[in-house]
Amino acid sequence: MNSILNLSLLRKLVQIGAFVFFVYGGLVTGYYLEDKISRSLPALSCAYDHQGADLCTLIPIQHQMDHRLGEAIANGGNLMMGIMPTLITLGTFLLLFVVLNKAFCGWICPLGSFQEILQIIGQKLGLRRHESLSENLVERIRPVKWFILLLLVFAFPLLTGMGMLNHDLGDPFCRICPSRILTTLATGDSSQIYLDTANTTTIVTSLLADFLFGLMIALALTVRQPFCRICPMLAMHAVFRKIGLLRLVKNATPRCDRCGLCAKACPMDIREIHTDMESRNVTFEDCTLCGRCVEFCPDQDVLQLKYTRFPVFSSSPHYFKQRKKQQSQWQKRTLIGWFRKRSAIPGTESS
Amino acid sequence: MYRRLLAVVISASFLPLTGISFAADGESLPAEAAHNHRGGEKRIILENGEDAVITLWKPDLTTEPLTLEHGGVTLPKTGMDNYHVILAEKDWGDHKEVVIRYEYRHGPPSKQSPSRLTAQQKTEFEIVPAPIPREHYRYHSQQRWGFVVRFEGQPVGGLEVELQTSNGSHLSVTSDAEGRVEFLIPDDFPGVVKGERDRRLGQFSVSSEYHQGDRRYTTQLSADYRVSPSHWQSTRLGLLIVGFGFIAGSVIGRVKKGGDGK
Repeated sequence: MNSILNLSLLRKLVQIGAFVFFVYGGLVTGYYLEDKISRSLPALSCAYDHQGADLCTLIPIQHQMDHRLGEAIANGGNLMMGIMPTLITLGTFLLLFVVLNKAFCGWICPLGSFQEILQIIGQKLGLRRHESLSENLVERIRPVKWFILLLLVFAFPLLTGMGMLNHDLGDPFCRICPSRILTTLATGDSSQIYLDTANTTTIVTSLLADFLFGLMIALALTVRQPFCRICPMLAMHAVFRKIGLLRLVKNATPRCDRCGLCAKACPMDIREIHTDMESRNVTFEDCTLCGRCVEFCPDQDVLQLKYTRFPVFSSSPHYFKQRKKQQSQWQKRTLIGWFRKRSAIPGTESS
Repeated sequence: MYRRLLAVVISASFLPLTGISFAADGESLPAEAAHNHRGGEKRIILENGEDAVITLWKPDLTTEPLTLEHGGVTLPKTGMDNYHVILAEKDWGDHKEVVIRYEYRHGPPSKQSPSRLTAQQKTEFEIVPAPIPREHYRYHSQQRWGFVVRFEGQPVGGLEVELQTSNGSHLSVTSDAEGRVEFLIPDDFPGVVKGERDRRLGQFSVSSEYHQGDRRYTTQLSADYRVSPSHWQSTRLGLLIVGFGFIAGSVIGRVKKGGDGK
């Protein structure tokens, strides 16, 4: 391994490139929705950002539940015609998803990248971080993403289309999604931060959206990937993760149930990577295929990122040693440390 | 099959340059009702439209003639979504007048970018939205939008371009070398109540005049606009709530430090 380059750094570079492309890429691809690349991206690239290169698949799904399937059910129309747009959207989603699997979360998603940047800022500011959440807390958080997916992405829009809920619940996930605020702010547009007093629904959803955005920023400084843990896109990915060509594979050895370094390295606190001794495909439902567990596994080829049958990155003792050293050095460099060091040098103290 | 009226009334004084104009009779509809056309037929009133040549431009740049009936035209189902253009031209020999309207129509995906329709020359002298509100978006008051004035497909600089609204506002600017003008759409709906959503529709027109030899061209682009959501959406309060969220996140982070922090 090169003394500087490692998988995490490579991933950061990809994340920065993806962030720039998906937040500002519309300047190249075009302004109109028809100009966007797929309109079913398996990552939270928001349609409210008019300069974006693409938009996430959850937007058309909510729209289709509301205006197509919901209306078809309510009006006694052709259900096949009602469901067809959603099938096309899911088909497009799957075509993309198969290529990278859950790596869309760990390598592409602008909101995921933003939270990682906040985590770096928190670390550099010297804030005490939670390296891992407790098992109990992780277990309690895990179902939330499924509830959000089922209720806010499918059920509420469908019921809205059927006339059982008011029009403002036609796209409830978009209304609370932090990506909407983040990506528009990133383009200099502050219009998505608001308290909407039009009715009770808009007051509640706008309150939730703003509160969640502030909460996410503060938490991301000390907790790894706070919003990703409840993101409905992660749940969508989990449904189809077995068909993705990229996967995390474990070749368990008797040592695996002892060190647990892979689980500690995991930003989503997936302890099963460490404890599961049966599965070969360990792309668990919360996995974002970031590859950190592979980086921090000290045993040769025990953990691998494989593309179909071909290993693209494997754990090794040599890589582990270097990576651990890099990580220690990286974590020692904080702003507080820098100021302390500076004030300790004679002649640099402020008068 | 059902019909809905695009129901916006434009006063005669709203049209300084052209005799023909898009308008409609009937009662004003809230924005949401106008939005829900879902691919059905739509009727648009064309005032003084007798003898005008009326053309429907579809997203794929194919055209279809429309016939004036009872002072209006009925937009048929075209089998494709996205922006369509209704163009009405009246040629008096020494004077050609044109009115244009971009209408979003629902239907099966056209897979055509509106940029094709705006780039296409549809008549000699036209005002083109640059850009037009993106699919599913609309003009609102307090927003700044750009337009380009073109003659035979080429931008025309130094022309006086006017914007008038059905609520009585009037603005005038001169096009730059690229033929571009920008207007801040006036926040001129009367009786807007702070904090309450207002779904009223207004109309604005952007118009200009161009002379080539003895022939005079007048053109008018008309569009709907809506009340700015800033009347019921407060950014300040939104920021305050973001702040509360941040404080709550910081507190939760501190509480957790004892339990999980390492």
